Amino acid sequence: MATERKATVTWHGDLMSGSGIIDSVTSGAFGPLEVDWANRAEDAQGKTSPEELIAAAHAACFAMALSHGLAEAGSAAEQLETAATVTFVPGTGITKSVLQVTGTVPGIDEDAFRRAAEDAKENCPVSGALKGNVELELNATLA
Amino acid sequence: MPRVERSAEVSWEGNLARGEGRISAPSGIFSEAPYSAATRIASRPETTSPEELLAAAHAGCFAMSLAGELREAGARIDVTANVVLDEVDGKGHQIVESQLEVRARAPGLEQAAFDEAVEAADRGCPFSRLIAAAAKVTINATLED
Repeated sequence: MATERKATVTWHGDLMSGSGIIDSVTSGAFGPLEVDWANRAEDAQGKTSPEELIAAAHAACFAMALSHGLAEAGSAAEQLETAATVTFVPGTGITKSVLQVTGTVPGIDEDAFRRAAEDAKENCPVSGALKGNVELELNATLA
Repeated sequence: MPRVERSAEVSWEGNLARGEGRISAPSGIFSEAPYSAATRIASRPETTSPEELLAAAHAGCFAMSLAGELREAGARIDVTANVVLDEVDGKGHQIVESQLEVRARAPGLEQAAFDEAVEAADRGCPFSRLIAAAAKVTINATLED
């Protein structure tokens, strides 16, 4: 079954001095979120950016895939603390996403955990969408 | 230009089917936003999903890219992104498509120049390029009076 998710942005003005509002997301879980070029390409000062949203999507997708892989292998996670860091090079594009996970997983050794994490990194749907154009990196450890 | 990094954190508890995660962004713009497998497949109010976050990222990225092409101080751009997750034979769930609906008002801009700007914005939008290897990007753009 196909699943669709929608978000809407309204932008005013040009790129450098204008700004946008992300709103009307399907779930209503977040928004309105402000975006502008300075917060995207320079220091983040309280406004989000496409790269921050990609990081959130990737960390969320990876955590789900890993929880599933671990449970299927017979060692369900108690907790997975994951982070994604996405690199944007203005003029070049989005170049890299680094996943970091610390797992609390009863009855699994470090090697098996790393293999499960590697599998999730390769196969979660967001990785699938990024792969080919973006370097993916993983650091996985047990708590 | 310098490299820019943006990160986000997720804390997940439990297995896929019954567990739940919370997503936080360092900008503070959202904090501990809940999501789960159930709400990823069947939408539930107030619970986001990776695909919804990608839709927000794509709409935000494309709007900025088009603003950069139009260079009109008085422009107003509305972009809706619709991201589709589907089951693909032999590959499981994949993000297969992102559909963009674009409406723009730009005083004095001709239709032909607008069409060119939309194409250039797609080529220049880092997110469009990013997912092009795996998913289809479709754009339906309208220039309004």
